[in-house]
Amino acid sequence: MKREIDARGLACPGPVIAAKKAIEEAGDCVIVVDNEAARDNVCRMARSQGCTAKVGEDAGTFSIHITAGGGPGKTEAVVPSTGPTVVVFPSDKMGQGDDELGTVLIKGFFHALGEVSPKPDTLIFFNAGVKLTVQGSEVLEDLHSLEEQGANILVCGTCLDFYGLKEKIQAGTVSNMYDIVETMLSAGKVIRI
Amino acid sequence: MTSEDPYLIALFPSTSGALMAEKLFKREGIPHKIIPVPRHISSDCGVCLRFSASERQRAETTLAGKVDIQDICPI
Repeated sequence: MKREIDARGLACPGPVIAAKKAIEEAGDCVIVVDNEAARDNVCRMARSQGCTAKVGEDAGTFSIHITAGGGPGKTEAVVPSTGPTVVVFPSDKMGQGDDELGTVLIKGFFHALGEVSPKPDTLIFFNAGVKLTVQGSEVLEDLHSLEEQGANILVCGTCLDFYGLKEKIQAGTVSNMYDIVETMLSAGKVIRI
Repeated sequence: MTSEDPYLIALFPSTSGALMAEKLFKREGIPHKIIPVPRHISSDCGVCLRFSASERQRAETTLAGKVDIQDICPI
């Protein structure tokens, strides 16, 4: 008998957190939600954890059947797991060229990151990239949503200090070069923005 | 977003139009988010402005005569 979690009526990110807990504790489980956003978010999180998610719908209620990763020996074949995906942000812009355009692109990048899957496991911000994680950043909402879905966000402490932004950090955890280097070296792939 | 106040997106003929519109929205204090144009609307790599349907009137007034709008549509 699979564990069944009734997440109807829970505000975002309640259903995702409840589902994550159920997967960690019970493995296979069924999450019941009452809206499409919760359905999509729970499915995305489950897949990011290497699980499969199948959705049944009945009169506006969605039952998401989650099968824990590695189950029936097929997850591995479908998703070749070679280690975590790490995305690094050395700048608060996307690409080099026009700064205004680079700012728009990075905002678009974070929005799209929230919409697609699979999600990166870790995001690392250093040099001017740390500006994306502090008060006034226009991508904070997206960063918080990624964190809620399980992404690990590392922010270079040296860099925050250099820019005088240490007190203003609003997303992620202040990290150091050892964590950053270890995370990069143990990654399946590192994507530099 | 609630079901009573869904999001709309404003599309512009150029990226610089979207940038200009973002500046005007900021100045007017209209809550918005600049996002890539959804794939089901265009396969081009464009950006557009997302805002709440309840702000439509204010959005149109703010942009009128200043920025060419290609379309305003539900997301």
